Amino acid sequence: MTTPILELRKATKKYAGVPAIEDVDFALLRGEIHAIVGENGAGKSTLTKVMAGVVDLTSGQMLVEGREVDPKTPNEARELGVAMVFQETSLVPTMTVAQNLFLGQERWFNRLRGIYIAAQQFMQSLQFDVDPTAVVSLLGAAKKQMVEIARAVLHNARVIIFDEPTASLTPEEKKYFFDLLYNLKARGVSVIFISHALEEALQVSDRITILRDGRHVVTDDKAKFDRARIVQAMVGRDLSQTLYGQRKTSVRPQGRRVLSVQNLRMAAMVKNNSLSVFAGQITGVFGLVGSGRTETFKVVAGVIKRDFMHGGEVLLNGRPVRYFVPASAVRDGIVYVTEDRKIEGFFETRSVADNIYLGLLAKLRGRRKLVSKGEAAAVGKRWIERLAIRAIGGDVKAIELSGGNQQKVVIAKSLVQEPELIIFDEPTRGVDVGAITEIHQLINRLADEGKAVVVISSYLPEVMALSDRILVQRMGKVVEEYSALDATEEKIMYAAIH
Amino acid sequence: MIAALKQWSDRLLGRGDAAITVPVFDGALKSNTLIEDAAVVAELEAPQDLASDGASVFVADGLRVLRFDAGGVEAHGVEALRFERPVTALACLPGGGFAVTLDGKEVRLVGGAHDGLRFTSAAGRPLNAVNALSADTSGRLLATDGSATQPVERWKHDLMELGRSGRLLEFELAKGTGREIAARLGHAFGACRASDGGAWVCESWRHRVLRFSGDDKPDGVVVDGLPGYPSRIAPAADGGFWLSAFILRTQLVEFVLREPAFRKRMLREIEPQYWIAPALNSGNTFLEPMQGAHLKMMGIVKPWAPPRSYGLVIRLTDKGLIRYSLHSRFDGRHHGIVAAVECGGHLYMLSQGRRRLLRLSIDDAERSLGLQDATPVPEPVETLRQAQGEPSS
Repeated sequence: MTTPILELRKATKKYAGVPAIEDVDFALLRGEIHAIVGENGAGKSTLTKVMAGVVDLTSGQMLVEGREVDPKTPNEARELGVAMVFQETSLVPTMTVAQNLFLGQERWFNRLRGIYIAAQQFMQSLQFDVDPTAVVSLLGAAKKQMVEIARAVLHNARVIIFDEPTASLTPEEKKYFFDLLYNLKARGVSVIFISHALEEALQVSDRITILRDGRHVVTDDKAKFDRARIVQAMVGRDLSQTLYGQRKTSVRPQGRRVLSVQNLRMAAMVKNNSLSVFAGQITGVFGLVGSGRTETFKVVAGVIKRDFMHGGEVLLNGRPVRYFVPASAVRDGIVYVTEDRKIEGFFETRSVADNIYLGLLAKLRGRRKLVSKGEAAAVGKRWIERLAIRAIGGDVKAIELSGGNQQKVVIAKSLVQEPELIIFDEPTRGVDVGAITEIHQLINRLADEGKAVVVISSYLPEVMALSDRILVQRMGKVVEEYSALDATEEKIMYAAIH
Repeated sequence: MIAALKQWSDRLLGRGDAAITVPVFDGALKSNTLIEDAAVVAELEAPQDLASDGASVFVADGLRVLRFDAGGVEAHGVEALRFERPVTALACLPGGGFAVTLDGKEVRLVGGAHDGLRFTSAAGRPLNAVNALSADTSGRLLATDGSATQPVERWKHDLMELGRSGRLLEFELAKGTGREIAARLGHAFGACRASDGGAWVCESWRHRVLRFSGDDKPDGVVVDGLPGYPSRIAPAADGGFWLSAFILRTQLVEFVLREPAFRKRMLREIEPQYWIAPALNSGNTFLEPMQGAHLKMMGIVKPWAPPRSYGLVIRLTDKGLIRYSLHSRFDGRHHGIVAAVECGGHLYMLSQGRRRLLRLSIDDAERSLGLQDATPVPEPVETLRQAQGEPSS
């Protein structure tokens, strides 16, 4: 048997005495695509962070090509040939794409034009349509992800770790990405691939490792897995029928019109867009990246502003509204659960309870002059229990939670405001299957309670499983509407593309 | 002062009343072709209104009232009544007989217990453009007088003059008296008695249906923000109502309505059929004003182009929520639906634009919209609050 290019033996990492991974054995072969799957909190990210030199092992060994190593920083790991593309982008937002690509590789004198040309050629070789002169903060999530991937490939790594690489990619972009993986494999690069989308793991990987609660469950060839076996191994129970398994046979009847967007315009992103959202229904919004879905609903929620002149109208319960800050929208009963939870969703260095309490304070129109720590703790505790947020306590910092639990904090922060209209933007991006089920159940309950719910998602099975009606957006406006009973993946995708 | 400044800034920035936006056809208003596909019962001469006594359908067609038996196949109908002036509104009385409006200026009862009763004024003002009647079992008759300045057939003039002189009237048949329930309406067109005893009235130029139970001031809005101008409203057999919208809103017309100088000049200098205004039918001549995006692409007029005329009937629940809608789209023919009544499991619709009486099986329509095959939505087992052990508020 050939020596694994990367190996972990009895790897254990503890945070404040609590093991994130424990006695994990893992081996990566040369030129293989190896998927690591598991629920949020299963230890996937910690395992890969150990390999990438982001965190130290508490005990155990790491070997690269049979030689024991102990990378202390990502740079050291990169020198060993191990690079990581993070789940939430680690780019410098104020720098351009090209500058981010060559970050850490700068020479004494850098000719900016030369960097841009090199970056342009490199991005084109990967078939990534990203302008190298664009400032990263102005890019959408998918394009940021592309830059991350390009940066890892550029560093000639022998092992590249992808943490949720496809979460923000459209189906077309995913295809490019998978082609890129096969390309890397053909060049002898080994790939570790973390994904919550099990179909992707089954599609692209050679072998699959499953973790649960920080422990290794099984590693086997892809051919020996099917979806049900993976899910069962991941969560210890069969969830395959409750997630996206069954097609809708009934839809909720339409209630009163809560939101009416009429001829909305916002720069080049939203073009004369009109739509309605009704009480007691889940309105799914599907569209490719750049179709203006997120921007439309960010205007509704006051996160961004529509065109100053002739920007169209937004009517909430028949009353025209125009918000300059989200707090005004929150007070009127509109909440927007962001797609980018790390940047816009919570204060990562504040505790879970504080984050949830801040949501409540936003609703109170500044009337609360003194903040009660006791009240914050009580509110936090109540919502941690309600949404089954898996944290040691309310005083745990949000950054220390897994992706799924962070998402629940963001949702709790919104629901504490008792909204009438809830806009979920990519509610299950980077979330494990267990948490996806819980979040879906929560969204359904909100609609059953009579709330108007909007779910923006790039993942078609999710849109189809959740929505009562589906709006398809393309080039800045809604171009098609389907009842969930009529919709098929083909119809929706056709409307989104053509 | 502040209001004037606000108006000025709105005009400058395209906000508020000057936003020139139109609600979209989505949700239960999503377009289909059910009116376009409806069976043609009869070609008519000058149809105005439609009524049903439960067994037959009656059509006010010029000077005549024609009877069509439900489910019958007569192409011409049987002449039931004839008058000396055009009939502009028609209602069947619960105890037998009819209420008709002649030329919009006289409400006359024919047959039944109050045969020969006439009303030419209400609340001290003469009737001018009575366009809809609705009788109830308590011996009262609701009527809408669309405009105090323009006759029934000049509704387009009333729209372009931003008419606000419509009235909702109620006549006590036993006493022979009439009273004004509401005035200063933006073209009252269609009224109906609701299940709670209140009166619903369509205020066309404000695209809404209002509810009145007492005097003068509306109790509330039943439905507003409609994408069309509502016309007559009639009860549905299993509760709720049928609301027809005879013309449709477009951004171009909304724009013209906010430009008084343009409008006044247009009214003065252009023939009404060529105005930039909604119409009951369109596509008759190339001289008609072109709507925004009203263009052929690859030789085909796109069905989603902003229409000059359209066919629309909306099914409302008894609470005023929109359940579903029936359409004849821009590229269709059955436009200008001014009335819709239910009879014998069918919906009869009057296309004034095409001068046709149409019939549609309600079961078939609901089945095609997926409303009958769908499993009823189960009651939620538990709400989020209940799941968390809290009483629901």
